[in-house]
Amino acid sequence: MVEHAADFPYLTCMLLAPPTGLVILLFLKQEWKFLIKAVSLVAAGTSLGLAIFTFVSYDKALGGLQFVEKYEMVKTFGITYFVGVEGLNAPLLLLTGIVIFTGVLTMWELEERTKEYFIWMLALVTGVFGVFMSYDMFMFFLFYEIAVVPMYILILVWGSTRKEYAAMKLTLYLMAGSGLIIPGILLLYSSSGLATFNMLALHGAHFSPWIQKVAFVMLFFGFGVLAAVWPFHTWSPVGHVAAPTAVSMLHAGVLMKLGSFAILRVAMYLCPAGFQYWMTLMALLATIGIVYGVFVGLAQTDLKYVIGYSSVSHMGIVCLGLSTGTVDGLNGSVFQMFAHGIMTALFFSSVGYIYDRTHTRDIHELGGFSRIMPVASAFFITAALCGAGVPGMASFWAELLVFIATVKVYPIAGLLAIAALVVGALFALRVVQNSFYNEPNPKFTHFEDVSPFLGLPRMILIGTLILFGFFPQIMIGLIKSAVVPFLQGM
Amino acid sequence: MNVMTFGPELYYLAVALVFFALSLRREAKVVTDYQVALVLTALGVVVTAACLFQQGELFFKAYRVDLFSQIFKFALALGLFLVLTISHNLAHIEARLHAEFYLFLTTTTIGMMMLVSSVELLTIYVALELSSYSLYILVPMRRGDGIDVEAGIKYLFIGAVSSGFMLFGLSYIFGATHTTYLSEILPRLPLLVASPIGVLGLLLSLAGFFFKLSVFPFHFWAPDVYQGAANQVTAFIATASKAAAVALLLRLAALGTSYGYGFAQALMILSIISMTLGNLVAIVQKDFKRLLAYSSIAHAGYFLIGILTLQETGYIAAVYYALAYLVMNFTVFMVLSEVAADGRDLKIAELAGLHRRSPLLSMSLIVGIFALAGVPPSIGFTGKLLLFTSAMNQGYFWLVLIGAVNGTISLYYYLKVVYAAYFIDNPALPPLQLSGPIRLLNYALIVVVLGFGVFPDRIVELAKAAVKAVL
Repeated sequence: MVEHAADFPYLTCMLLAPPTGLVILLFLKQEWKFLIKAVSLVAAGTSLGLAIFTFVSYDKALGGLQFVEKYEMVKTFGITYFVGVEGLNAPLLLLTGIVIFTGVLTMWELEERTKEYFIWMLALVTGVFGVFMSYDMFMFFLFYEIAVVPMYILILVWGSTRKEYAAMKLTLYLMAGSGLIIPGILLLYSSSGLATFNMLALHGAHFSPWIQKVAFVMLFFGFGVLAAVWPFHTWSPVGHVAAPTAVSMLHAGVLMKLGSFAILRVAMYLCPAGFQYWMTLMALLATIGIVYGVFVGLAQTDLKYVIGYSSVSHMGIVCLGLSTGTVDGLNGSVFQMFAHGIMTALFFSSVGYIYDRTHTRDIHELGGFSRIMPVASAFFITAALCGAGVPGMASFWAELLVFIATVKVYPIAGLLAIAALVVGALFALRVVQNSFYNEPNPKFTHFEDVSPFLGLPRMILIGTLILFGFFPQIMIGLIKSAVVPFLQGM
Repeated sequence: MNVMTFGPELYYLAVALVFFALSLRREAKVVTDYQVALVLTALGVVVTAACLFQQGELFFKAYRVDLFSQIFKFALALGLFLVLTISHNLAHIEARLHAEFYLFLTTTTIGMMMLVSSVELLTIYVALELSSYSLYILVPMRRGDGIDVEAGIKYLFIGAVSSGFMLFGLSYIFGATHTTYLSEILPRLPLLVASPIGVLGLLLSLAGFFFKLSVFPFHFWAPDVYQGAANQVTAFIATASKAAAVALLLRLAALGTSYGYGFAQALMILSIISMTLGNLVAIVQKDFKRLLAYSSIAHAGYFLIGILTLQETGYIAAVYYALAYLVMNFTVFMVLSEVAADGRDLKIAELAGLHRRSPLLSMSLIVGIFALAGVPPSIGFTGKLLLFTSAMNQGYFWLVLIGAVNGTISLYYYLKVVYAAYFIDNPALPPLQLSGPIRLLNYALIVVVLGFGVFPDRIVELAKAAVKAVL
């Protein structure tokens, strides 16, 4: 891959904005709540601004890896700080920027231990940015772990429903995944004989097929835990339900994408032969995940559980796209990572708003909520429509691409997945009808609707979904500029 | 002989004499003694740092001063100083014994300093015993209800038994090679590869250090001694003493290079049992110091991973991890001794409400605990990953896999500590007041743990230069 050095350290600034905010927060008093939130918002906003800048100014015609920065970290072990942007990670950096920015806005009403909350949230998002931009396997894994662990404290302290159980379960699941990832990446590192963690260099190492098969399956399951690949998804609905709103947004919106992105970037990129060997298994697990998520979601009455299981199903679509190993499949898959991230953030953001007021997420208890809070309900309904794959929304194009590719490569899995999606649409409509269009619950009639300021983060998310729904070519063109050389390299 | 080459040892000998003089006073002056001790040990850190790049061989070549030994001497001096910074409140040690407490801490430090420089079997043994005997006295020095005596006796017995094993092993090595100098043993070892006497002798002679490092099967003392000794003594045993043991294991294990496979296999089994046992038993602990004791047994297993590679990268990783372990484990012990200001044993549940009682201490605790658990961006994570990398380079795939799985298991009990400090609250407990220097120490430790975790290059390069002297 051609590398174009950056004329200004944009990516480092994007990465360092959240930790800088974090350090400033450390010196602020607990009582200065507005200042704490303002600093967090500025830090998140800086990252978002730079993410938009890199997304827009990435030169598709030039291609390759742009905005590259490289500094040696540990010479003896071949560890470098190596960041860059290409078509695969530009959308995901943008996604992270949008979700953290709207996440901070969503938590504007938080009063309990505000300072610590934003400290941990900024720590988490630093890890996420780091993973998406790193091209050094060691740093990649370092950031990956940074993204995983603050979650424990965030859920434990600020969460709801069964939070202790959920926090411990989530952390142990993800760390068990890391237990597979460490031997996997070290196997690649040591068997390459190059003594470098640079992924572009390792790509040219031509590992023996046997090593590729072993490493691929370890990395696939290790990262797959975070991507909620069936049957390792069980932490995800529980964790999403227990987490506070902005953490659910970040977690379902961005963190799960770390898993699928890592499968693409590390496992598939470095072990193409391993991918060829295991791709059918990938497709099988993904299809089971899609169907399973939809049907279990049908039986839920808690809105957050409904979204949690729909995430399992939608992440299944991402995985299915990856498993095809075709241009359309990968295109759709990366697009779906982006679209699903924005969509779930919108889901959790709107449910969070409703829950903060009513203290219930029960579908039947909410009843005809759209008559009480039409705007808040509209946010949720938009997300539900997007989840059902309605045209005009970003995820429509993403899912379409994945299904076109899948039907060509795995006809049965493709048809099953499409059938599941139809059922999924049914289930989205059922939820919408029961919670928003039945008789209103008299308990809740005194609540006021969303104020324009609190509605702002949701508006941003809806705007993004519609923008890429009507102009998918902006995204697809960018992703394609990376996917085509990616597949040629395999 | 240049005085500087033997500088740290001479300095600490003088310090020990000062403490001896102080201990002769009829009426103890607690505050003055403490201030004197703090200043002298702080100066000691400066002295050892000044002697960092000394080189030479002393005492008929039985004593070697090189970068490797000097780095560990610096670590020991730092460890002693750090332990004294948290000794401002020795609640469980009688006032008239305070000077003796400083005296024996200093003598054990001298013993360990001599240990890391020794390259002759008898010198190694004498230095080891010097450091051990001082600790045998320090452990039961706590005013307790019998638990201190139990700990003291257990420590003494298991220490004596492992010394016995060690002497037996040394006799085998001497018998087989007719020399006690490491440099002369090394070329003669390949002749013995066929006979098991060499491997057996070498493994047995490592026993003394397995004891110090609490490697299975010499780990039984750790939980009781950790719990029974005063918090500050435990902190010293858990930090400086481990670093010295790792240093000597690295020197001695280098002899095993010629045995290759069999020797490494034996260490690998000990490593796997140590980390698995330590991590599993730690899960059920209620007492914080006992939990840390089992965590130290598990960490002994991690150290062995670096040692058994018998390669430069593994040794670098082990040196890095030993220094990292000293800092991160001390961070946790500092929090422990500040929370248990009256010198009691701290239950994990007693950490409740720490985030409210002292946000700074709870931040240090989280950083220290996550570093021990191997969570980035900390020196613990980087060190562990470097250890695993070096092991994988030698083809120990299963060892790395088991080590990584152990990391997951250990996270469970480390998270229980975080859970207690961050989530449970006990409104009855008042906020903790920290003195200025302790606050400063907190900040310094956090910066070191995180800073060298993200930018480990300087330490790695230093360790690389040091390891050249050993292999």
